[in-house]
Amino acid sequence: MELWGVQIIGVVVAILLSPLFVGIAQTVKARMQGRRGPSLWLGYHVLKKLWAKETTVPEYSSWIFQLAPTVSLSALIVIALFIPWGGQVPAGWPHDVLTVFFLLALERFWVGLAGLDAAGTFGGLGASRITTLGSGIEPAMFAVFGLLWYLTRGSLITPIMPHWWSHPLNMLPWGLAVLGYALVAIAELGRLPVDNPDTHLELTMMHEATILEYNGRLLAESQAAIAVKFTSITALGWVWLGPSLTSPWLNLVLRVAELALSSVLLGVIESLVVKLRYFRLPTYLGIAIGMGMLAVYLVAFQGGK
Amino acid sequence: MSEASRVENPYNEWINDNISHKKAGDVWLALTGYRDGQIKSHWLRANGRIDEVKTACMDAQFASLTPSLPEVAWDEREIHDLFGYHPKGHPDLRPLVRTPRWPASFYPMQKQSDDHIEWTDVEPDNPAKVVEGEGITIMKVGPTHAGIIESGHFVFSIIGENILHLDAHLFQNHRGVEKALESLSVQEAKPLISRICGADTVSHQYNFLSAVEQLAGRKVPEMIEWQRIILLESERILSHLNDLAQIPAGVGFTVAHQRGLAMKEMWQKGLSAIFGHRFLFDAMYQEKLAVSKKEQLQQLLASFITQWHKWRKLADRQQGFHDRMRGVGVVKRDDAEQLGAVGVALRAAGVSVDVRTLMPLYRHNRIHIPQVTGGDVEARFQVRLQEVEHSIALIRNALEHLQGNQQDTSWSIPDDLTGEAVSYSESPHGLNAHVMQIQNGVILRYHVKSGAYRNWPVLAFAVAGNAVADFPLINKSFELCYSCADR
Repeated sequence: MELWGVQIIGVVVAILLSPLFVGIAQTVKARMQGRRGPSLWLGYHVLKKLWAKETTVPEYSSWIFQLAPTVSLSALIVIALFIPWGGQVPAGWPHDVLTVFFLLALERFWVGLAGLDAAGTFGGLGASRITTLGSGIEPAMFAVFGLLWYLTRGSLITPIMPHWWSHPLNMLPWGLAVLGYALVAIAELGRLPVDNPDTHLELTMMHEATILEYNGRLLAESQAAIAVKFTSITALGWVWLGPSLTSPWLNLVLRVAELALSSVLLGVIESLVVKLRYFRLPTYLGIAIGMGMLAVYLVAFQGGK
Repeated sequence: MSEASRVENPYNEWINDNISHKKAGDVWLALTGYRDGQIKSHWLRANGRIDEVKTACMDAQFASLTPSLPEVAWDEREIHDLFGYHPKGHPDLRPLVRTPRWPASFYPMQKQSDDHIEWTDVEPDNPAKVVEGEGITIMKVGPTHAGIIESGHFVFSIIGENILHLDAHLFQNHRGVEKALESLSVQEAKPLISRICGADTVSHQYNFLSAVEQLAGRKVPEMIEWQRIILLESERILSHLNDLAQIPAGVGFTVAHQRGLAMKEMWQKGLSAIFGHRFLFDAMYQEKLAVSKKEQLQQLLASFITQWHKWRKLADRQQGFHDRMRGVGVVKRDDAEQLGAVGVALRAAGVSVDVRTLMPLYRHNRIHIPQVTGGDVEARFQVRLQEVEHSIALIRNALEHLQGNQQDTSWSIPDDLTGEAVSYSESPHGLNAHVMQIQNGVILRYHVKSGAYRNWPVLAFAVAGNAVADFPLINKSFELCYSCADR
């Protein structure tokens, strides 16, 4: 019963705090640029403002354009449901990582379609870019999660950390998986050095270009989806690669602290790097794939779990 | 051109004289049309003298120089649009300045004040040059853009992620500056000249004063000359700081972008406190300022230099940033010369031309020209870095000469000023030339040819063959002024 409570409260808390985590990253970035930066709560103000505004749609767009933000937001909320917020899930609760991949693909598909549907100048460009990038992110995700499959002989989201404190040599594959996952997560979240969410230069945009035509409630949904995605993808990484405690409630508190730490780290990383050339991205994702595969090989050669 | 056609062509003197100036390595200043049907081109020679070549329209036609000197292509189109003179042999006479709302017989520079004009009511529709074929997409950007910039419509022909061709439609707002200057007195023209462009205003003010002083035969006191150098170099630093800060924004290097803008703001605020205007409008007309504010200037310079070194270290160390700039937006030496590139774009291609070396104003200074050859975004970035540091040195030197008592420098412009003068200077965006014709103190014709105007076609050339996502970066490495194309 306790697990049920933690899981449900965890999902609600994580979704409600998402805009705050994005705000933390923005504040860190602003400080590193020598600016004071906006309020940490800006994300909430923006959502409230957009929700109250009138919503208009492009003249030639279809129902796809209007449905896409809801579909992508829903897909990301379902991913948040899949995260074992208390370190483990209640009996019978779905937490298969393959479904998470499927939901991410679904979200990308709809965002891309919406970009094309609006028939704006930049939407098509953005849709082409995110789908091209997606075809590299998916194999990279599979490769990085190879370690989970090898160790647990399954695809359920389970902490693997306990396996790794037993022997110092085990730290190497774990470290590779952590780096590999960080690279893929940054690409999936559309953050620097892969995509720049803060630019106003449409020609360089990837994900932002697909939602340029949105306003009002539809834009609020798209913005909320971006925030929930940050929370879900980051928490997913911490759950299987990070430490876990025995008490489910303490685990939930730990997750929230880890998410806040990730926001700070993201802000620092985004201030230190510049955006890669678009044609360099296959190499970037190739490195993630390599790290994931190497982690599995290293464990396999040690002959153990 | 073959021997036979040379003999037949009644304009061969016009064409050949201009070609021989170009071949001699002279710097082309301006192509100016006049209401009486004359067309003049002015060349700046290596010895600092200005040569004039002229022709007269016959049946409102003149021989186009564009086939042999592509750099005048826009100037001839402009004359065609504003005066109605037809450049015979011009390969591309689509409207440049003209909008479809102008009635067919309306030519702004021919207009008399009592003419009544019936604007036609049509949608703007300027034909764009695009590439056609399978898999090629036409992408239109602007004229309204995200961010605070002026109007410019860009038509890209792209295939996948690559730009095949860019057709830039500038000239979106017609201000009628040159027309407005006609019939003004020198005093009345001063504020208007200042406001031709917010980025190169000091250079415009200098050109105007220089043209007036040439005709009046004024010997400018040295103290004022030093002050002018300080102003010109302060403007160069201000403009380069802005451009240097904008380039990192093109690749998401936000720390250098924001810190660069903060440094520019500090410099601009300092200049505003000393010269009375954030953009230095009308600053050069006040001739006694710099001497009385010498200490303030020295303090500003000292605090700027500290920030500058910090910022330079930040930009130098980020290798990913330099990787993004290398090999992008390349303009080779030959192309830069053929297309008539000026300023930073020309020097980044390895051509050591800086008209400050020919300006009498700088005769006591040795102008250092950066030796950079890449022609890419990185090269333009490096040229600006070096020029900022050289400008600091020039200001320091000028400040040392700003000593002693101020002699009486009061000077009044003669009422009966008559004649024609050509003046030039090196603005932050490159060679800037003015042609002024004046009679009894009233301006008859004023023509402005600024650096940004010349470099726009070069930008379009530099962009072709690059990735779409690199366009903002290349664009920012030129950082051209839109209002220079708003005639």
